[in-house]
Amino acid sequence: MNISRRIGQAFLFLMVALVLLPLIWTLLNAFKENVDILTSTPKLIFTPVIENITYVLGRDSVSVALFNSLIICGIAVIIGVVLGLPAAYAIARFPNKWTGEIQFFVLSLRFLPPVAVAIPLMVIWLNLGLYDSRTAMVATYSLLTISITIWLAVPAFQQVPMAIEEAARVDGYDAYAVFFKVSVPVAMKTLLGAVAFSFVLIWNEFLIALMLTTSDAKTLPIVASEMSQVGFDTPWGVLNAAVVLLSLPPLLLLGLLSGFMNTMFTNKSR
Amino acid sequence: MKSRQSLPYAFLLPTMLILLVLALVPTVYAINISLQDKTLISPNSSYVGFENYIELFSDRRFINSLWVSLKWEVITVTSTMVTAIVIGVLMFEVLGPRLRNVLCLIFLIPVLLPRVCAAFVWKFAFHPLYGIVTYPYRLITGDTLEILSNPDLALFAVAFVDTWQWGFFFAVIILKLLEALPPQPLEAARLDYTKPWQTHVYITLPMLKAPLISLIFVKAIESLRSFDLVYIMTRGGPGISTETLDMYAFSQGFIEAGKISYASSMAVLMMLMTILVFTVIWKKARV
Repeated sequence: MNISRRIGQAFLFLMVALVLLPLIWTLLNAFKENVDILTSTPKLIFTPVIENITYVLGRDSVSVALFNSLIICGIAVIIGVVLGLPAAYAIARFPNKWTGEIQFFVLSLRFLPPVAVAIPLMVIWLNLGLYDSRTAMVATYSLLTISITIWLAVPAFQQVPMAIEEAARVDGYDAYAVFFKVSVPVAMKTLLGAVAFSFVLIWNEFLIALMLTTSDAKTLPIVASEMSQVGFDTPWGVLNAAVVLLSLPPLLLLGLLSGFMNTMFTNKSR
Repeated sequence: MKSRQSLPYAFLLPTMLILLVLALVPTVYAINISLQDKTLISPNSSYVGFENYIELFSDRRFINSLWVSLKWEVITVTSTMVTAIVIGVLMFEVLGPRLRNVLCLIFLIPVLLPRVCAAFVWKFAFHPLYGIVTYPYRLITGDTLEILSNPDLALFAVAFVDTWQWGFFFAVIILKLLEALPPQPLEAARLDYTKPWQTHVYITLPMLKAPLISLIFVKAIESLRSFDLVYIMTRGGPGISTETLDMYAFSQGFIEAGKISYASSMAVLMMLMTILVFTVIWKKARV
């Protein structure tokens, strides 16, 4: 009994290594010169250099892309909140024969293959003269943020105890006041997690951005992916540095998202 | 009283209208383009009926990409679920609450990474000359190990990265689901001296049937998004051995020929297939 327990634990720690080692290795490589990376035997001891990071941060394309990513994701997430949360609340609290269909429609938006959305949108934005613009990217990403926000916020609102809302109603709040002053604040922690998820989803988005931007509105993942094509040899150090920098924002939200998972799955059975 | 009647409309209608426009316009447009002979190079185009669709079915590369996509779906969904169940159950059985929390945090990291980043991390790890995955092989045999340029292995290597991202994430979900189960059946089983694996195979996993089916469903949908990994790691290669549908549509529309209409007809077919299949599964699973 005890031995099999130990074996199980050992296996899990191996899995932890499988998650962390490649990431730690990437982090180390971000501080190596190319000669220290391109060795047949992996090098653990090396003189760290900061040039890769400063090179990435110093490039104009990166600062433009960082600005684009922040603006596009920021606005799209806000649109997702403004339009998604009320809709989710209506679905959660006023269920009728339509809300089930609406919920399925929102989910089915996720079935749409990104290519199938991106190709026609490219033609549409070209015709409107908006191709490769931040406006076009915000509009496109809003489709993603609104639907994912609705999808994740419905259970969050369902977890708000009915009794609190009813008490507020007895105190003379109308339905809108109940939503703004009671339901949203009570569900806030879970809602923040949902919003964080929608941010990570579009911060990481690649295919649509690749097809809908060429220079002005390029987002960070596109620019990072292009790092492998700088110059003649692949600059692995620079590439690793770009990977590390691109991964930082989603990882900063790790704590928030883990808390979100806890509330989403632990309270469900109650 | 009045506000309670108006709220559902005020909250739902504008959002649904915007979603409908954002989703329907591109869909209708895609169908429209797919019936023409539009290319990126020439500005003129005319309607050609279903020519693009007919051409698709005699296109060996399209048939190949259908097959690759199907393989990709089956491989990634299966391996993700197996990984998630094994790791989730193990965490439940052998770890105390504090270690569980630490491991849950760590296991969430891969799925949060941009897929572009995950692809680069593993592309370098698989590098035949300098990668850390191939290092033990080089050390022992003195030879290089080609993974991503081997047509038999490349798809599995990319699928491994997908499983690395999703399997650990789902393991955390399964652990949370196990923790939320009522403890009585588990205690009863323990009193009957069932082995832990028996408890899970015969009691807990059947109890979790509904959420597990939802997880399979979600993974099947997310697996449709193979493009980022394939694009960075293999670009559909070697040859066309990892060319999934979206990769092929992309290369037809953008890289090779700029055949927007042809790519669009592929996208429309893809859309029809996924909507049909997933709607049927979803409605069936709910009954």
